[in-house]
Amino acid sequence: MMILLYFIALLLAGIASGLVGAMSGLGGGVVIIPILTLLFGVPLEYAAGASLISTIATSSGAASAYVKDKLANIKIGMSLEIATTLGAIIGSLLAAYVYANGISKWLFVLFGAVLLLSLYPTFRQYEDVHRKRINQDWSTDIFQLRGSYYDKAVRRTIKYSGYRWPLGEAIMGVAGLISGLLGIGSGVLKVMGMDWGMKLPMKVTTSTSNFMIGVTAVTGSAIYWTLGYIQPFIAAPVVIGILFGAYFGSKLLQRTANRSVRLLFLVLLGIIGVEMVLRGFGVA
Amino acid sequence: MDMNYVISYVLRIGVVASVLLVSAGFILLFVNNGSNGLALSQIASANSGINSSIFTVPAIIGGIFAYQGIDFILLGLIVLMATPVTRVFFSIFAFLYNKNWIYAVITLIVFIDLMIAVFVVPSLLVR
Repeated sequence: MMILLYFIALLLAGIASGLVGAMSGLGGGVVIIPILTLLFGVPLEYAAGASLISTIATSSGAASAYVKDKLANIKIGMSLEIATTLGAIIGSLLAAYVYANGISKWLFVLFGAVLLLSLYPTFRQYEDVHRKRINQDWSTDIFQLRGSYYDKAVRRTIKYSGYRWPLGEAIMGVAGLISGLLGIGSGVLKVMGMDWGMKLPMKVTTSTSNFMIGVTAVTGSAIYWTLGYIQPFIAAPVVIGILFGAYFGSKLLQRTANRSVRLLFLVLLGIIGVEMVLRGFGVA
Repeated sequence: MDMNYVISYVLRIGVVASVLLVSAGFILLFVNNGSNGLALSQIASANSGINSSIFTVPAIIGGIFAYQGIDFILLGLIVLMATPVTRVFFSIFAFLYNKNWIYAVITLIVFIDLMIAVFVVPSLLVR
């Protein structure tokens, strides 16, 4: 009976994480890892394993909706996955080193720090929603960094183009490394790379990020599998929960303007980031 | 060829198959009060050392035919992991079909990265 309740609790934790993960473009990982470690007392490597494999579900579940609605830019996403996959291989091998040497408390600190650092660019752009959507340089043409989408919130088709592909690619390398190291989709960094780096519209960056997360996460997950970081009883309910949460999250995202999505970003990131840093230093 | 439609379809099939396998796995797990000769309490524990490193793909496939809950759950997770890989694989051909050579090459590079992570790195780690 207790085991069944534990299973249901894991499922509910997954639903909550999936909802927030899809709506914010972060992936469920940044929410489920603190829930599993801080509330459920699950070891960080199992939390990271459950998180990483479930971000594949978040990505595939939500992205299938985004792709159909043409919010996600498949080409831009694919070109940036060169760096995220290489970064994820290096990151997951680094994670193996960290866990083998018993210094995982630094991963809690890093986890919190990554979230808190991501507050700055998010906050800065919060007032910058209606900026110029057409930017061009040499990489715009070579890598075909153009597209258009129908924005349900303002009811019209928005054309856009991005630039500074090498900068985007460099940020994606770091995003991949963090993904493999911490077991998250690194949605924050991916959004930063496309939003701040390549100046793509926010709706496109969040959905393309969500789309890309699956490929990044599967890279790390394959290595996590061999390392034994995936505990099926913990990972699987989280995966199912996150899938359903992400489904409803992606439905909600289409009906929400940029403003409320970002506010949700800020509040959640702040609280979770501080909690994880404190845990790393042994305070909480 | 509408690539958006194909990709959306691949992602959906993979996810649905994964959910069905994992759900079947948990039903078997709770009905049989265990799996693979392990008690349910051992399987649910984070400290018992039950994790992905002790299960191989051939053993998982074998367990499916013996209706072992854990093997259904793990196969579900493998299907989930295979979904984005399949998506990338199909995209190579979609770009070739549309004569978008630079993106065919880009997608091939991503696919090679994935193969390194799925096959090359694990074989080096196990050794």
